[in-house]
Amino acid sequence: MSGHLLSLLLFLPVLGAVVIWMLPARAARGLTALVMLATLAAATSVLVVFDPGGPRFQLLERVLWVASLNVHYQVGVDGLSMLFLPATALVFLGSLVANWNLVHDAPRLHYSLLLLLQCATLGIFCALDTVLFFFFWELTLLPVYILLARWGATAGSVRVAARYFLIMLAGGVPLLLAFVLLACSQSVPTFDLLALLAAPLPRSTQYAVFMLCLVGFGVKVPLVPLHTWLPQFALAAPGSLTALLVGLKVGAYGLIRFAIPLAPDAAQDLHWLLAGLGTLTLIYGAVGILAQSNLRVGLACASICHVGLAVLGLAAFTASGAQGAVSLLLSFSVATGGAFVLLEFLRQRTGSTDINSLGGAAKTMPLLASGFLICGLAGVGMPGTSSFPGEFMLILAALWSHTGAGMAALFGLAIAAAGFLSLYRKAFFGPATRRQVLEAEDLRPREWAVLVILITLIGAIGLYPGPWLEIVRPAAEAWAAGVAR
Amino acid sequence: MSGFSEILWFEQGGLPLLAILQLLPLGGAAIVFAFKERTTAVVAGKAFALAELLLCIVVSSRINPASATLQLAERFAPLGYHVVVDGLSIVFLLVAALLTVLMTFYGMSRGMISPGRLFAVLLVAEAGLVGMLVTLNVAWFALFSALELWAVTYLLRRWASSRAETQALARFVQYQAFGLALFVAGCLVLGWGHADARGGRWSFDLFELAGAMPADRFQTAAFYLLFYGLAVRTPLFPLHGWLPNMAQHGLIAVAPALMVGVKVGIYAMLRFVLPLTPAAVLYWQPYVIGFAMAGVFFTAALAFQQTNLRRLLAFAVVSHTSLLVIGVFSLHEAGIQGAVLLAANFGLAVTGMWFVVGFVFRRTGTTELDELSGLFERIPFLAIAFLIFGLAIVGMPGTPGFDAAHLILEASIDNFGALSTVAAALGNVAAAGFLLWAFQRAFLSQGKHGSPDVDRTTPMEYLVCGIALLAMLVIGFFTEPWLHLTEAASQSLAARFVQ
Repeated sequence: MSGHLLSLLLFLPVLGAVVIWMLPARAARGLTALVMLATLAAATSVLVVFDPGGPRFQLLERVLWVASLNVHYQVGVDGLSMLFLPATALVFLGSLVANWNLVHDAPRLHYSLLLLLQCATLGIFCALDTVLFFFFWELTLLPVYILLARWGATAGSVRVAARYFLIMLAGGVPLLLAFVLLACSQSVPTFDLLALLAAPLPRSTQYAVFMLCLVGFGVKVPLVPLHTWLPQFALAAPGSLTALLVGLKVGAYGLIRFAIPLAPDAAQDLHWLLAGLGTLTLIYGAVGILAQSNLRVGLACASICHVGLAVLGLAAFTASGAQGAVSLLLSFSVATGGAFVLLEFLRQRTGSTDINSLGGAAKTMPLLASGFLICGLAGVGMPGTSSFPGEFMLILAALWSHTGAGMAALFGLAIAAAGFLSLYRKAFFGPATRRQVLEAEDLRPREWAVLVILITLIGAIGLYPGPWLEIVRPAAEAWAAGVAR
Repeated sequence: MSGFSEILWFEQGGLPLLAILQLLPLGGAAIVFAFKERTTAVVAGKAFALAELLLCIVVSSRINPASATLQLAERFAPLGYHVVVDGLSIVFLLVAALLTVLMTFYGMSRGMISPGRLFAVLLVAEAGLVGMLVTLNVAWFALFSALELWAVTYLLRRWASSRAETQALARFVQYQAFGLALFVAGCLVLGWGHADARGGRWSFDLFELAGAMPADRFQTAAFYLLFYGLAVRTPLFPLHGWLPNMAQHGLIAVAPALMVGVKVGIYAMLRFVLPLTPAAVLYWQPYVIGFAMAGVFFTAALAFQQTNLRRLLAFAVVSHTSLLVIGVFSLHEAGIQGAVLLAANFGLAVTGMWFVVGFVFRRTGTTELDELSGLFERIPFLAIAFLIFGLAIVGMPGTPGFDAAHLILEASIDNFGALSTVAAALGNVAAAGFLLWAFQRAFLSQGKHGSPDVDRTTPMEYLVCGIALLAMLVIGFFTEPWLHLTEAASQSLAARFVQ
């Protein structure tokens, strides 16, 4: 059974998306919840089956897909990617709950697209063939486009949806080019990631591949100056969708999995570019938080800020840098995803996430306020939360390899924390004036459950990070060894 | 040395399938025509279209795709009759047969006047298409081309949907007659060249022409005449002037689908132009590619200017056809293979979009983008079908365009370097831009008067769009058999250009 665990994980959501259309519309939501729970269970069992001491890539499955192009359906996980699977399943479940009562029209379409998006996102983390990866990568666009255009939060969301789609499609161009270039550079064209990792490339090809990947993934990460879609997107998208796209760090994962290991020499030579972009992104995100009056955009900026830190830490090309980056990204998936879900609860109650129309929200909604505080603190890397170990390792790695950039990063993180707390204070404390805030009701049991899971995870990993870091460590060491070649 | 080889039909056993393939739609047309407007005419029309599709599937199962040899050949020397099929042409044949079947369903669901006559003409057009796709004789090709053009002209005249039809029709006839004249002139130059070399014996057969290619300037002249003759038909920027008018004013889905659903222009370039004028092709390759690149972007820019959904689709066709020409003229095995698959993909996708537009027109009586709004609420299936067809054109994963785009990119990296490849790929993004924009304006926008109260999707509409979607997704996920089918033929064609 465990031989096909990853395929099961990938096809469960697709199966669910098909079955939805065979049942009456009112059953769609319940079925989706069931499928997502099953997916979470499958993703958790990957965690159990995976042997951290074993070979690097496990649960490998390889089926010839397109023989003439030498494309395989090849999936597998290692310590770097494995933890993203349960995190993805969890964030999707949270997003479903956040939207629980909001989908009234065409529920079957909505939920089947959500499941399709889940399959594509899980696929991104499992794929070990560049074409398969690209397939999943582009497959995310269709559901996101329809979900955003059809169920967007604002009148302009149709435009934002098209913009997102086109920017991501354009971002896919350099990526596809890089993969084709990689394939053509081998004696027998191949898209097999494992084979590509084993075969060193000439330096000039490496430069091209690295730059193309940097642009392609940089759009998704997003790295400044390719970030322009994100603030608009965070405003226009329904909260649940923002949680998915901002919470799940596929762009940074792409850098770790593809860009750097496939072109190690070029990455080493261009370490200043990677570190510089990381620092720039970090500072930009931090300053961005200060300028925001909307909690959602503020959170999006905090996310930009931390991905910047992860990229900066990666530029050290050490095992602890990679380990730190993966654990920070994971923690962030859960924390930011959770925070966006909580903001969606808040928006449903008060009709807004802008601090000017909130104020004093903690009085009527103490649970929501404290939950958001915990997620937010995890978001700024408070010791005791799940983000701290990763952040600490990243800062150490950065200080060691790029001291100046590391100092700047510390400064930027302080600004980010200050910015977040200031936003938080204005939104949740002070006198409550608006009627919606005064009459708001605190979290309901269903919402409570999401919160408890999130806080348990954040606290447990924060206080006892050892086992989680141990899962990542061997793979991170292998990664660093591969890059250091 | 012509470099061609063939296997005659009786050596492969069975029946002269290609002759049946050509006669079936012709006979069908006669029978349907004889039924006049009785309901049996409609049933017979559908039955013949389906039978032709089945026959195409039988043919595709009979040929051996691993060999580059032309297969199931039939010859009748006195008339110059010479037909074959190989891995490339079978793809086009299947698309032509499938589209005809879909058009018969579509014609019923739109509730056209005198469907019996419509089906008869449709079958004549199919016969023309099939004839063009199997013949190896350029004169026969021109003849079948004329037959198909006559059928389309008749369709446009009898079932036009608006008053500007006369102008559109006149433009169509002028352009096509001109294109055909160029092509015929090209054939004459080739035949003359052959006569010159072989002591006054004229021939228009590919095998013989390839053995006596005209020299230097005559080859260039032949290349230009053939290429531009086909470019009108394809249509290729800047010779596309007939299409937008016809698309806007003509019979909505059927006529454009017949003209651009099956890319016979691209097919004829592969079958005749590349092997018969290799030196000229090599010499003019950069110019053709340059024009095609310009065409991708120029027509994409024009598409953004359109206010009518049907015109917009016409420009989308011109834009992506330019991409096909880039694939063909890469003269690279992967590029040719990619172009063939992409041609099938585009044909299916664009026809699907045209069907949806036709269904929308039946409900709203207009295809002006300003007057359409909020259709998504009432006909979500058709809206999503439109979106998926649109994304298929852009090469969304899960459609044949995905792997085909890989192939064309691979070829153009090999031949022209990264820069022009990026340009071509960005042309795709531009196409995504205007297709999404059209989708939003027609299906998602909120109109002044709220959402219109149009009919829900009918079963026939589910069927037509469902079949097209299914065909596309199946080919998209299981590309391997199609790649296998086209591989050997593409290789042997590309091998002609390896110095």
